[in-house]
Amino acid sequence: MGTQKQTVGPMTGKERVLAALNREPVDRTPVCNPTSVATVELMDLVDAPFPEANRQPELMARLAATGYTELGFDSIMPVFSIIQESSALGCKIQWEQKDNWPTVRMREPIWEDVDEIKLPADFLTHPDTQCVLDAIKILKKEYGDEVAVIGKTMGPWSLGYHCFGVEPFLLLSLDDPGKTKLALDRMKEATVAFGVAQIEAGADALTLPDHATGDLVSGEYYERYLRDLHTEFVDRIPIPLILHICGRTVDRMEYIAQTGMAAFHYDSKNQPGESMEVVTERISLVGNINNPETLFSKGPEEVRGEVYKNLDSGVQLVGPECAIPLQTAIENLKEIPKAVQDWHQEHAGLN
Amino acid sequence: MAEITDIQNEIIVDEIEEFIERADERERTINTFAKVAPEMQEIAAALIDGDNDGVDEMTKAALESGTEALEIMDDGLIAGMGIVGIKFRENFIFVPEVLACARAMKAGMAYIEPILSASGIDPVGTVIMGTVKGDLHDIGKNLCIMMLRGAGFVVHDLGVDTSDDEFIEAVEEHGAPILGMSALLTTTMPNMGKTIEAFIDEDLREDVKIMVGGAPVTQEFADDMGADGYGKDALECVALAKKFLEEEDEDWDEE
Repeated sequence: MGTQKQTVGPMTGKERVLAALNREPVDRTPVCNPTSVATVELMDLVDAPFPEANRQPELMARLAATGYTELGFDSIMPVFSIIQESSALGCKIQWEQKDNWPTVRMREPIWEDVDEIKLPADFLTHPDTQCVLDAIKILKKEYGDEVAVIGKTMGPWSLGYHCFGVEPFLLLSLDDPGKTKLALDRMKEATVAFGVAQIEAGADALTLPDHATGDLVSGEYYERYLRDLHTEFVDRIPIPLILHICGRTVDRMEYIAQTGMAAFHYDSKNQPGESMEVVTERISLVGNINNPETLFSKGPEEVRGEVYKNLDSGVQLVGPECAIPLQTAIENLKEIPKAVQDWHQEHAGLN
Repeated sequence: MAEITDIQNEIIVDEIEEFIERADERERTINTFAKVAPEMQEIAAALIDGDNDGVDEMTKAALESGTEALEIMDDGLIAGMGIVGIKFRENFIFVPEVLACARAMKAGMAYIEPILSASGIDPVGTVIMGTVKGDLHDIGKNLCIMMLRGAGFVVHDLGVDTSDDEFIEAVEEHGAPILGMSALLTTTMPNMGKTIEAFIDEDLREDVKIMVGGAPVTQEFADDMGADGYGKDALECVALAKKFLEEEDEDWDEE
C-alpha cells in the first residue's frame, strides 16, 4: 500500500506532503493539488476574485489559503494559472473575468528566432512574478508550519508554446532539433530563476508544468528534448519538484521516472494501476481525479470512487488531475479529504 | 477489389502495410491508390513525409504536364492526408508531424485552389470553425481544419475567442451548413451551449448542423448542450461533417 505505515505518528499536512514526495512513511495519504483549487465559490467566500487574485499578492494568498482552510487539503498552491512568468517575459495576456483563467495570447508570439530569447532584467521583479513571490511569503508566514506551500515554475517546453506560439514551436521541433534544443536551453534559465526565487520566498516544493503531453507529442519526444533538462532541474532547483503534464503520458512515465523529480502529477487519461506499475518506487504520483467528468459534472459519490481507486493502487498523493474547473462545487472538493480519511480508517491495521 | 500489389509506389505500399490496421480502412485505401496514377502516388507519398518542397514541385510539374487540378487534389493530396489522419489517430505520428503534412498540403493547394475557384467547381462542403468565447487555445481546432481541408472541405476559420455573433454572422455570410466549435478549458466549454442558444434565438438552429470537440468535452456534454455531434479527434470531425452532408442530401432527395 505505497507509503502508508501504521507506526507513523500524527503528522501536519506539511510533514505529510513532504514525506510522501520523498516516498517516506506517512500517517495517511496527503491530499494535494499541485496546480490550482481556486473556484468561483471560494473567490466569493473570501472576496478574492479573478483576475485580481492573479495579480495582487494579498488576494492571491487569501484565495490560495482556502485550499487548506475551507477544503482541508494538505497543501496550498497560490499560482492558479500558467501565465505569471510568461507575462514577465513579455507575452500578451488576456486576463479575463472572474469565471475564467487568464491565458497567454499565443497567436501573438513574442519570439520568432532562438536568438531573440532573452530573460528581461526585471524578470523577477515584474509585477506578475513578484506577486507570486510575495504571496508565498504571506502564506509561509501564516500557514508555513501547518501545510506545504507549493510554488510553480513553468518548464521550457511550455514557455516555448507561450513565447513562440504552439504551432511554430512544434514545427521547429521537427524541422530543426538543434535549434529547438538551443531554445529550450535558453528558456530553462527562466524556469531555474523563478524556481530558486520561490524557494527563497519560502516554498516547500514546486510544481513544474511542462506540457509535452501525449495529446501533442510522442514519448520519444520527451526523452529526446526534456528528460535530461528535467534531470538538470533536480540539481539546480534544490527542492522537491512535482512535474505536471496533462493528457495521456503513460508512454513517457518511464523517462519521467528517470529524472529524479520527487513526483509526477498525472492525468485521469492514465489509470492509477498502470501508472504505478511503470514508475514503481522511483517517483511519487499525484492525482488523478477527473476534472470535467467527475469533479465538475458529478457528485461526491463519484469523487469518492476515484479517490479510492488511487489509494487502492498505492498512489502517494491524492488530488485533482489538474487545475480544477472554476465552477466546481465545493462539496465535491471537500469529499476528497473525507474519502482519504475513510479509506485509511477502513484499511487500518491492514498495511 | 484491388490488391496492394496494384499500387506502384513503394512508400505508399509500406505506409499501408505498416500503419493501416483496420480492415475496412485498409481495403478503402488500397482501392483508392490502386486506381491512382503513379505521379499522384508520388505526391501523396511526399505529403505523408511532410515534404512541402517536394509537393510544391510535383504539383507544379503535374499541372504543367496537363494533369487536372481536381485529380491532383483528390488523388494526390486528399488521398495522402487520408493516411496521415489514420496514423495520427492511432498515435503513430503526433502533432508536429501532422503540422508538417498540412504544410505540404498547403504548398500543393496554393496551385490548385485558384484553378478550382476559377473553374467554379463546388467544394465538398463548407464549414465554419472557431474556438469559443474566452478560450485562446486553437491547436485542436486547427488540426480539425487541416483534416477537413485535407478531405476537400472549404473551411472558414474564425480563430479563437469567438463570440456568438461572430459564429452567426459567419454561418449566414457563407451559407455554411456546418459549424464546428472547440474549447480546451472547462471554464469555456459551457459557452458552446450559449452559442447554440443564440442560434435558436435567431431562429437559425435548423439551418446549421453544429459539432463540438475539445479535450474536456464529452459526448454526454455535447448532448446536454444540444449539439448535433461530438468528435473526439480530427478524423471524427471529418466523419461527422461528411455525415451531416449525407443527411442534407437525403433531406433534399426526400423533398
